[in-house]
Amino acid sequence: MANSHIRLSRRAMLCGSATAGAALLITGASTRRLMAQNAPEKPREIIVRAWGGSWVEALKAGVSDPFTEATGIAVRHDLTEDNEIQPKLWAAVAQGRIPPIHVNWDTTTNATKSALRGVTEDLSDVSNLANTTDLAKPVGLEGYPIINTYGYVYVLAYRPEAFPDGPPTSWTALLDPKFKGRIALYNDGIGFHFPAQVAGGGSLEDIPDNMQAAWDFIAKVKEQDPLLGEDPDFTNWFQNGEIDIACTISTNAREARKNGLEIAWVVPEEGCKFDTDGLWIPKGLPENELYWAKEYVNFALTQQAQQVWLDGLGLPGVVPGLTPPEDLVDDPSYPTKPEDFAHLIRISAQVQVQNESEWFSKFKEIMQG
Amino acid sequence: MPETNPDFRYPLRWRIMDMAEAIADFLWPRRLSKYTGWLFIMPALMLVGILVLGLIQIADASLRTLDTATYLPSDNWSLDNFQKALGSSVYFKVAWRSLLGAALTTAITLCFAFPYAYAMVRTQSPKVRKALLIALFLPFFIGQVVRAYGWLILLGNGGMVNDVLGLVGIGPVRLLFNYPAVIFGLVQYMLPFAVLMLAPALTAIPTETEIAAGSLGANWLQTLWHVILPMAKPGLVGAGLVVGTLSLTDFAVPAMLGGGSQDFVANAIYDQFFRTADQGLGAALALLLVAVGSLIVGLVFMVFGAGTLSMGARK
Repeated sequence: MANSHIRLSRRAMLCGSATAGAALLITGASTRRLMAQNAPEKPREIIVRAWGGSWVEALKAGVSDPFTEATGIAVRHDLTEDNEIQPKLWAAVAQGRIPPIHVNWDTTTNATKSALRGVTEDLSDVSNLANTTDLAKPVGLEGYPIINTYGYVYVLAYRPEAFPDGPPTSWTALLDPKFKGRIALYNDGIGFHFPAQVAGGGSLEDIPDNMQAAWDFIAKVKEQDPLLGEDPDFTNWFQNGEIDIACTISTNAREARKNGLEIAWVVPEEGCKFDTDGLWIPKGLPENELYWAKEYVNFALTQQAQQVWLDGLGLPGVVPGLTPPEDLVDDPSYPTKPEDFAHLIRISAQVQVQNESEWFSKFKEIMQG
Repeated sequence: MPETNPDFRYPLRWRIMDMAEAIADFLWPRRLSKYTGWLFIMPALMLVGILVLGLIQIADASLRTLDTATYLPSDNWSLDNFQKALGSSVYFKVAWRSLLGAALTTAITLCFAFPYAYAMVRTQSPKVRKALLIALFLPFFIGQVVRAYGWLILLGNGGMVNDVLGLVGIGPVRLLFNYPAVIFGLVQYMLPFAVLMLAPALTAIPTETEIAAGSLGANWLQTLWHVILPMAKPGLVGAGLVVGTLSLTDFAVPAMLGGGSQDFVANAIYDQFFRTADQGLGAALALLLVAVGSLIVGLVFMVFGAGTLSMGARK
């Protein structure tokens, strides 16, 4: 009962914030553009691929609902997994078909693969790009085939009651025998490869040429019988008491905490992987739908939309002047100042794209052994 | 010669039937009647044809390697993906786990399915038969994913089974996310298939045969071993083939109950298609799975015959 109360309150808060955001938008410059007389014909709806759970709720409250209020265009969220929509989009573009979605909310690494394959529209003419920080620009790509919309951190999340002597300070906490069978990682190891490189005694400069330190450390973690899953699994496993400690995106841990669970997280001394997600538009849309899809992306870059969307996710955005949610002020998973990034590991999307398959395979090789 | 009533009119039903016959004759003239059998089998042949076309496309994809600089498949054909698949220790382990899993699931499922099907067929009580059928079909109507999710709830650390174990001072015990959990989930999923395959074979065994064996001095174990099992062999082979092939290619149960570390080949194929975007390697793995599965089925056909799947044809 307590949980449902918290959830309802949060939803109410998100809806309220969305309405406020829409109200602000109606008076803003963006709306003047959205209401422009010479705008192309509006489609009945646009389809935005999104992650489910708290992720889509936040997008809906911060971006989609206010966009619909401002334009009258309904926004439908397609919750197909990002990895599963990718081959469908690639096939649609290759076959000259209209793609199944208008906007893809994607990891920057996945989006970069699509950009390299040439299936993304150029978004350089999105007007609100002028108000964004450097984080919005994809590294190593020409123009803006993707626009990064926020950053996130793969933290070490833990149950405080499992750490009576204080929070863990190192990723080596995963090797504590008392946590055998009670730790969790992503099933391809994403987010863990780089901290494992440091925790295993290696250097970040050696990535991608020599990652033996990472593989050695991951092999030790394997001895601890970790559970391997996706975003929703972490929240479920914490809630069901299956795990005590995990490498996961702070949003998942925060969601579990909002559901009434005692969960905390740290950035250990070896550092945490920092990465970005973004929005992109597949090629092949009719002209008018492309226009309105770009307007959706443009709207997602307004300060009002970013504030509400990213308050829901608990993540730092790409527009200056955003206020961190109360519970994340000075939190290491919500970096805002240059010094906040000192303990965060950022590897270029290009290096990740070119080596990710190999890293995933190596991780699988160890974990399936 | 009988007089015809001038007011007589054909009943409406006759006229409709005449019209239907005329339309059928127009669409499929009588001279083509010797091909009518082919006409009926045509949709199935077209379906198989589409599958074959898909396999050809997969074969084409399997010969193209991924260029990670452009994320496009190569223009040229090569056997690199097959070499990678066959030379990798991880795929060897996953393949072995899948084969062993399929074998264990088949053996355990048949052990459970046989007495269930026998009781269902031989019981004199219609109520018991109905109860057994309902118990069999209820989970059958629930999808595989939902059933696996149900096991996550029941067998989890905070689940009902651990609650019961806790009452006697045991646990909590990790019952999920390991190989036995995957086999358990597969057996539970496959049981209705096996029972449904076995029931017709057991029905075909006359009760009198068992009575005759008993009258000649055989106890129930001897009757089972020397009479029922040999006569039920076609059903056992058919059920074993269905359960074995479905288990070998299963995706959802290893993914959900294996905790990410108990992948079967289907999970490895999914990873290549959807996680690393290497469709060529995924296609190569898919073709190898088809080849191994077909080889095993072929061997079973050679050694045991096709069982009930032979549809009464001689071996």
